[in-house]
Amino acid sequence: MNVCRKPNLAHFAVTVIGKDRTGIVADTSEVLYKLGCNVEDSSCTMLGGEFAMILIVSHEKPFSKKKLETEFAEKNADNGLSAFIRTLKDDEICYREPVGELCLISVYGSDKPGIVYRITRELADRGVSIMDLNTKLIGTVADPVYVLVLEATLPQGLSVEEASGLLDKLKKELSVEISVRLITPVSL
Amino acid sequence: MAVKSIVTYPDPILKAVCSPVVTVDRNVLQLIEDLVDTMHAGPGSVGVAAPQIGVALRACVIDVSKNRHGKDNNHGLLRMINPEIVERSGSAVMREGCMSVPDYTGDVERATDLTLRFTEPDGAVREFAASGFEAVAIQHEMDHLDGLLFLDRISSLKTGLFRRKSYK
Repeated sequence: MNVCRKPNLAHFAVTVIGKDRTGIVADTSEVLYKLGCNVEDSSCTMLGGEFAMILIVSHEKPFSKKKLETEFAEKNADNGLSAFIRTLKDDEICYREPVGELCLISVYGSDKPGIVYRITRELADRGVSIMDLNTKLIGTVADPVYVLVLEATLPQGLSVEEASGLLDKLKKELSVEISVRLITPVSL
Repeated sequence: MAVKSIVTYPDPILKAVCSPVVTVDRNVLQLIEDLVDTMHAGPGSVGVAAPQIGVALRACVIDVSKNRHGKDNNHGLLRMINPEIVERSGSAVMREGCMSVPDYTGDVERATDLTLRFTEPDGAVREFAASGFEAVAIQHEMDHLDGLLFLDRISSLKTGLFRRKSYK
């Protein structure tokens, strides 16, 4: 998909994170709403005991990053949330999503250092583009288990079987289970 | 031959419960052919329901025979008038997209085995069993006849993969 936003809009990436409680999304979106910002894209989730929000917001030009920073600083002065704002350049706003087969890769096994690094390095070196990634430490204190689940777009010419094959050696080396399956959406 | 343009949300017809076809007349036959032409014109399309081309009647067409998920298990081109699901069983999750909801996809749980009854364009009532991807496609198209989009049936958020720890 090609997306090119309207040129009259200023775009910002807003990250908000803080100890989880009810009302974080409401408090954050209230600031944006009152400033007249649009939330164009967002992903918010609990990570550990924190609640994390990442949003792409827009506002009609002229609009400065300073304004967002000031409002968030005031709102978050005593509520435990931190906000970080970044101005997006044109080439970050007009983007092209990778095209190709979408696959879901799940990796799990006894916790050890390097699971995320080794898996994602292998994928990156083959031009596999990660679209979404979640990790979680589960199991018990005595037997911690690491779970990594990601969705990635395969480059042209790399099949699911080949993608699975190139992770095989990591399976042995890291003593983890790895499964790769196709989840390319069906158009109905 | 008439390829119609696909109606996209928020057109209210996509949320309407469609009326049953009372008589299979010339207009209904034309509607069915328009649905077939529109389906064949959409790249990779495996089905179109009447409300997607702006007609609030219970009719849809499906053909999964050229799709990689359906090529080994299908009934070819199905022209269905007043389709009803008589029985359903099994369940599977697929990531679905819809021509009426561009640029968005979601995981939807559907029955894997169906027994269906519908009227053919020649007026004959047919009952048959469908399974696998064909069954998924049939349920997706039949949902349109009840004003339901896949967005009404998304089964989980991606982050729902993990059972949340309690921090209490």
